Amino acid sequence: MAPSFYEEKADLKLMSNKEFFLRRYAELGWEFRDINPRQAIRINSMNANEEEVIDRLKSLGVALEKISFLKNAYWACESKFSLGSTTEYLLGLYSIQEAAAQIPATLFSDLKNKIVLDACAAPGGKTVQLADLMGNTGAIVALDVKRERLAALSNQLERCSVKNTVVYCLDTRKVSQLKIKFDRILLDVPCSGNFATDEEWFSRRTIRDVERNAALQREILAEAVKVLKDNGEIVYATCSLEPEENEFNIDWAVRNLNLKTEKISCYGEKAPTKIFGKQLDSSVENCRRIWPSQTQGFFVCKLRRESA
Amino acid sequence: MIRPIMDFVKRFDAELRLDENFIVKKRNKCFLLNEKLKNFVRGSFFYAGIYLGEIRNGSFFPSISLLKMIAERAANKIVVDRKTEWLFICGRDIFRQGIIKVNGSKRKGDFTLVLNIHGECLGFGEITRNLDEKGSGVYVKNILDIGDFLRREKRNS
Repeated sequence: MAPSFYEEKADLKLMSNKEFFLRRYAELGWEFRDINPRQAIRINSMNANEEEVIDRLKSLGVALEKISFLKNAYWACESKFSLGSTTEYLLGLYSIQEAAAQIPATLFSDLKNKIVLDACAAPGGKTVQLADLMGNTGAIVALDVKRERLAALSNQLERCSVKNTVVYCLDTRKVSQLKIKFDRILLDVPCSGNFATDEEWFSRRTIRDVERNAALQREILAEAVKVLKDNGEIVYATCSLEPEENEFNIDWAVRNLNLKTEKISCYGEKAPTKIFGKQLDSSVENCRRIWPSQTQGFFVCKLRRESA
Repeated sequence: MIRPIMDFVKRFDAELRLDENFIVKKRNKCFLLNEKLKNFVRGSFFYAGIYLGEIRNGSFFPSISLLKMIAERAANKIVVDRKTEWLFICGRDIFRQGIIKVNGSKRKGDFTLVLNIHGECLGFGEITRNLDEKGSGVYVKNILDIGDFLRREKRNS
């Protein structure tokens, strides 16, 4: 018998509080602790010599520390002013970009001269990073469904002298309308986020949000496959810690979309393949789950379309 | 569309060759594409390639990207000291004592690019007093500077 309205409400309350989510994380092998995400910057190597930028920032009194698991990236340890208002920032010599969020774009192989889709691009941090990794060659098609966010994206592109990008106000679930086939697709999909970047997260989010986002993410994955060339690569990323938006979606993609996960070498833990009693495809362990600490929470996976 | 851009560039005593076939317009904004990118631009695009500027009240107003392109060539330029650099990107005008070096025109009424000591383009302004004239007060009036990126973000947020 289906649960009544009141029973469903009561269930939802139980399945939507801090304790509920922390219990799930514990089942995944992570115990809640105080975290301290740090501000990070990434040098735009297409515009600047890394050492020169670092020297310039140090001369302004900014204390920086190299991030061991990333190229061209530094923790901003101390600064007397906002790093988003220096001449060097305004000239596009560096970007302020959260450290875990810098990982997805680096997972693609051989980006030079490729045709790349950045599917949910605003506010554009990863688009600029892709252009940097591509050395402004090839072409990036950057989409976002919210027109008001495109101004921020365009602003970033101009500030950082990105030259290889075309931006559309378009829902990724309609990308096949553009009739373009892509070599590489970055799916930094809309997600439920995580408590590391939102103090109110536990009181604002419910399991229903997670389920709704997971369904949307599957639609985006399915559409992305339609526009991916044979042997093309997808990098799927979320800043959610919920398996429905991560491992479960990848398991579904592997079983239904002719995609294979690829081994990646990056910061983070191997994703679990047995979650809440459900056995997933063994290749899901190629994904990386990043629990919040110095970075926010994150999940990344590299997928390749098998040749027809 | 190319005519107002070229007329603007000339005000810096500079020359810039742009291929009209690679310039696309979206409403009042114009963008410069390259050969590859041209294949991916559909009518509904929002932004593409290099943003060159826009028509405002019938006149062409440049982007920072276009100014950077002009700065790579021989053109009217002044180099300013660090303090003046900071004031300029905060939207302030330029006084004579902040100017370290002048290339090209010193004539009142001409446009000049404003560079920092690293040779990076910070924006442009109009020369309001001949730059070889002794005196105090504003010599270059700020028209556009890179601080505009922050001001735009504030406007959009």
